[in-house]
Amino acid sequence: MEKGKISSLQMAIMMYPAIVATAILGVPSITAKYAKTDLWLSPILASFLGYATVYIAYKLHKHYPKETVIQFSEHIMGRFAGKILGFLFCFFYIQVAGLIVREYAEFVVDSFLVNTPISVIMGSIIFLCALTVYGGLEVLGRAAQVFFPIFILAIFFFSIFLGPDFEWKNIFPILGNGVMPPIKGGIVPGGWFTEFFLISFLLPFLADQKKGMKYGMMTVFVVTMTLVLINLIVLFVLGPATSFKVYPLMSVARYISLADFFEHLESFIMAVWIVGAFIKLSVFYYAAALSTAQWLNLSNYRPIVWPIGILILEFSFWSLPNTMGLERYLVGTFPLFALLIQTIIPLFLLMMASIRKRKRQASQ
Amino acid sequence: MRWGAFFSVMVIVALIILYEWPKMKQNPKKDKMAFFTLLFIGLVLSMFDLPHMGGPTAWIQSLFRPFGRFMEK
Repeated sequence: MEKGKISSLQMAIMMYPAIVATAILGVPSITAKYAKTDLWLSPILASFLGYATVYIAYKLHKHYPKETVIQFSEHIMGRFAGKILGFLFCFFYIQVAGLIVREYAEFVVDSFLVNTPISVIMGSIIFLCALTVYGGLEVLGRAAQVFFPIFILAIFFFSIFLGPDFEWKNIFPILGNGVMPPIKGGIVPGGWFTEFFLISFLLPFLADQKKGMKYGMMTVFVVTMTLVLINLIVLFVLGPATSFKVYPLMSVARYISLADFFEHLESFIMAVWIVGAFIKLSVFYYAAALSTAQWLNLSNYRPIVWPIGILILEFSFWSLPNTMGLERYLVGTFPLFALLIQTIIPLFLLMMASIRKRKRQASQ
Repeated sequence: MRWGAFFSVMVIVALIILYEWPKMKQNPKKDKMAFFTLLFIGLVLSMFDLPHMGGPTAWIQSLFRPFGRFMEK
């Protein structure tokens, strides 16, 4: 189905924007609502879900090295139950891709292209991602490789340029209300961290499969550090007002002023962020297309890339009448649903797979 | 029924078929079936007023309602 090979470093480079891109956008303010000034602790707590998910995905990959989750769930659960589970995964990735498109488009329409119809923005990003996914996994890996340095450098310079605006004492009191607020604030980022299960779709195509676990764990660590850094920046600049901003990172970027000459750098930040969102959507789109093709036992996933694009576009509207509806879904449903699909069900699969293996060895 | 959305999706579907068909002529029958079925689902869905209609997303949301209430506190 997929003949391309990527290196484990490319996998890490793809996974990094795939988690960070939307997690730095609206999540800091959601976290701040629960954790107040401890919002920088929440990603650290949430990252344990990420480590667990990578571990589970890698162990499953060890049991069935050449297959993705759609294929080995049929081997573990039997044909019928495996198909149902596979459908769940296909549906989940198409739906999440729809949510990403919606988040992206809401953000662009809200902050910059106020008069553009939202469907035009959605359509253009889906068109771009469809072309990338059509190109295959190698193209996707290379695209991520090209854009990754820009993304990292932007975050790096961003934190330096904002230095003069930092109000260091905003961080106090640390754990003023006990440990519960940061834990509750970690629930929503936790949903994002479970998305690391996407490596299950990439691991079978790695050229150096042994390093998969190492690079996966490393990505979780780097993502955690990035989120902590972003949350700290937002906290240092905005302080307790963080939870009132819809896109805190954007509000913070407006503070940048270099030598009274470079102003309005938020448009630059947005340009870089769109690059990250493009990688993120492409990875999810790829997972959706590949899993649907494998679920239907097709010979190639390319014929269904475009039809899936239409479905993603429709899922980005379905049952989400406005921005509030989207946010309510992302806060009140998505974290638990993502945890269920991407961590708990794979854990269940892993347990069944190891029991089966033990039985097979006992009978021999 | 939103005719604008429906007709634009119809045009897109036609373009996709025009673009994809020459490439997938020798593909197995199953591929073609999946291709047209997915396009057809997309076309049918575009007839409805999706943002204000119940669907999988809304069902999941009501399934996880207790958790949503916990997060609202």
